[in-house]
Amino acid sequence: MSIVERTVGVRRISVRGRLPERPGFLGALMVSPAVLYLLGLVGFPLVLSFVYAFSDVTTGNPNVHLVGLSTFAAAVRDPVFAVALRNSFIFTFFSQALVIVLSTILAFGLSADFPGKWVVRFLILLPWTTPVALGAVAWLWMLDSIFSPFDWVLSAVGLIHHGAHIPFLGQARLAMGSIVVLQAWRMLPLATVILMAGLTSIPQDIQDAAAVDGAGFWGRLIHVTLPLLQPIMLVALLFGIVFTFTDIAVIFVLTGGGPDNSTQVLASWAFYKGINGGNLAQGAATALFMFPVLLGLAVLLLRIASRVEVT
Amino acid sequence: MSDVDTEAEKLTRRVETAWTGRLSRREFVQKAGLAAVGLGAGPYLLAACGGGAPSGGGGGGAKSQLTILQWSHFVPRYDTWFDAYVKQWGEANNVNVKVDHINQADLPARTAAEINAGSGHDLIEWIAPPSALEPSVLDLTDVVQEAEKKYGSQLPVCKSSTYNPTTKKYFGFCHSWSPDPGDYRKSLWTKVGMPNGPLTYDDLLNAGTAIKQQTGVRVGIGMSQEQDSNMAARALLWSYGASVQDANENVVLDSDATREAVNFMVKLFKQSMTNEIFSWTAASNNQGLVAGQLSYILNSISAYRTAQQTRPDIADDIFFRPALQGPTGKGFASEHVILIYLIPKWSKNVDKAKQFLLDLVGHTSDIVYQSELYNFPAFSKTNAQQKLFGSGGWLDKDPFGSHPANKLDLLKNAASWSVNVGYPGPSNAAIGEIFDTFVLPNMMASAARGTKTVDQAVSDAAAQCRQIFAKWRQRKLVGGSS
Repeated sequence: MSIVERTVGVRRISVRGRLPERPGFLGALMVSPAVLYLLGLVGFPLVLSFVYAFSDVTTGNPNVHLVGLSTFAAAVRDPVFAVALRNSFIFTFFSQALVIVLSTILAFGLSADFPGKWVVRFLILLPWTTPVALGAVAWLWMLDSIFSPFDWVLSAVGLIHHGAHIPFLGQARLAMGSIVVLQAWRMLPLATVILMAGLTSIPQDIQDAAAVDGAGFWGRLIHVTLPLLQPIMLVALLFGIVFTFTDIAVIFVLTGGGPDNSTQVLASWAFYKGINGGNLAQGAATALFMFPVLLGLAVLLLRIASRVEVT
Repeated sequence: MSDVDTEAEKLTRRVETAWTGRLSRREFVQKAGLAAVGLGAGPYLLAACGGGAPSGGGGGGAKSQLTILQWSHFVPRYDTWFDAYVKQWGEANNVNVKVDHINQADLPARTAAEINAGSGHDLIEWIAPPSALEPSVLDLTDVVQEAEKKYGSQLPVCKSSTYNPTTKKYFGFCHSWSPDPGDYRKSLWTKVGMPNGPLTYDDLLNAGTAIKQQTGVRVGIGMSQEQDSNMAARALLWSYGASVQDANENVVLDSDATREAVNFMVKLFKQSMTNEIFSWTAASNNQGLVAGQLSYILNSISAYRTAQQTRPDIADDIFFRPALQGPTGKGFASEHVILIYLIPKWSKNVDKAKQFLLDLVGHTSDIVYQSELYNFPAFSKTNAQQKLFGSGGWLDKDPFGSHPANKLDLLKNAASWSVNVGYPGPSNAAIGEIFDTFVLPNMMASAARGTKTVDQAVSDAAAQCRQIFAKWRQRKLVGGSS
């Protein structure tokens, strides 16, 4: 200790000896609630799903008896499983295709300045702020087999006979179309916001340089904007695919998986089989078929996004 | 050298903090930690000072606790009565009773969550047989036997919905049930020469077709993934002599009788209904009847009671029929709902829970009246029998304003044509899974929509049923061998 330190009574404090002073401790502490949340509410249920899928648990008997792959075999043999698996891909593909196209158009539109822009932004964001069950119930009423306002409007403009009813949810293809449209309506705001963020991050210099080089609107769009937007678009697509492929709320409220299981998806079938039907193990096995699909998609899209090189 | 701060250092730090408002990391962590502990423990410390629990009613002391989970009744006044009754019962029996009402659709998920957690409510009321839950609930044979001593024999429809002949256990206690009559619009049926409504399924087909041709008003038998469609499919099969299982729990769905019944449903759809019925929810047939758009539905009196409130003109035109007869000359319908309490194995107050059930049956007349005659007695000698079924009783003179007053009198013999969902066998776990995954309505729907032939629809449904039965047999909850 130096004379000065002794004079003023300064004591050396070893940094390593006090936990709160250690580098990284506070950061870890701040992140720990999120980690605990993920482990408790995401990680643990995922592990439990794997355990259940290899067992014969029911809602009435949670004791785990491992039975190998027989539960998976039973899940695959179920005739509704193939329909649910196919529908999960159809539902995801068509709803996300709609979302990407519409959100790109909206993002371009909202990037420009015009009167009332904030109102339009608010209206576009509204579906995202509405709880999914509430939004789905509103659509359920609008697509009702007897009281649909769409029937009334179409009848008023002469496109259908007076008093006729379109079975929006009663025919398989119309029901799937209704679900696709509702999902696209829900996911559009998120994708639009992500793409708007991407658009604003494109340097104006590049656009100006392209314009100086003679590129028109479509030329700049195809050769400059869309390539630069591609990584952001892939992120929006990844979010949309994950949310849609695992969605149950829309199907549960709108069709219950009907008519005749024609709109059943893996998530909803897992619920009906596992919880309502009591066959928890088979429900878990059905749900786990989503895992490799989503994992593979996420890895693929993130790799593409990271490797995109604009020249 | 010591690590303890000197007074000079402490003073320096306090001055710096006051001057600059900056906290060191150590201070931040200390203060945040203390705040979190304070927020978390505060209510409990205050409650301890006050001498009571931080949540829940009343004081602590010697009173035991009883928690009940049940559905929100279709008839709101029932829940109002029930909550008041429970409070009185609790005071009389020195028990703190808490009742939670949830949507009936949430009951399976909530119960499954409590079973997996190993804790929750002491009593849970279902409106369908909770047969799959048998391994996690108490055997209530003693309660049923005691109730039968006091209140007479339990109705077969209630017994077969709560008793498992394979394990010889009562997995639940049924205190009341609801019949599922046909509801028809008298003015429409009078136009086609049947003012008293249909007696047989052929009547329904012929007259229903004529009504649709003349007025555009459809028959309302659902074929979608909801409860009423489940009931309708079963009623049709039984009346044609078909069923999912026989009395010994063997799958017998793949039969000529089933094919006949499905063929009938295809005809009924093509001649008297529209595609709407494939997308119905549990409320759709009620809504359609009250809106005047359906000529016949299969439903409890809830649709009628709704009409009395919202469309009295339609309500006055709604009348009731018993289960329609099929080619066998017999007609059967399922119970619409069956109210069953189960006591989970984790219940900490089993004796009081059982006593509650016995005492509840002693108030069956209140159960019936406060449900506006929606609930019917499960036992043959309760204090409701005379009031409900007796001459001049509630079914003869509806206290809730029917016109005419005896509109509901055909329900007096509802127990003779009402059976459990697994008829002619018990309501076992396999029947429960078949019910909750809508195998039968989908069988009907696929044939009616033309996506499968009748033969294919029946054989696919039967194969599904056999798979489901095999799984539950492995778990030793279901009898039979095929």
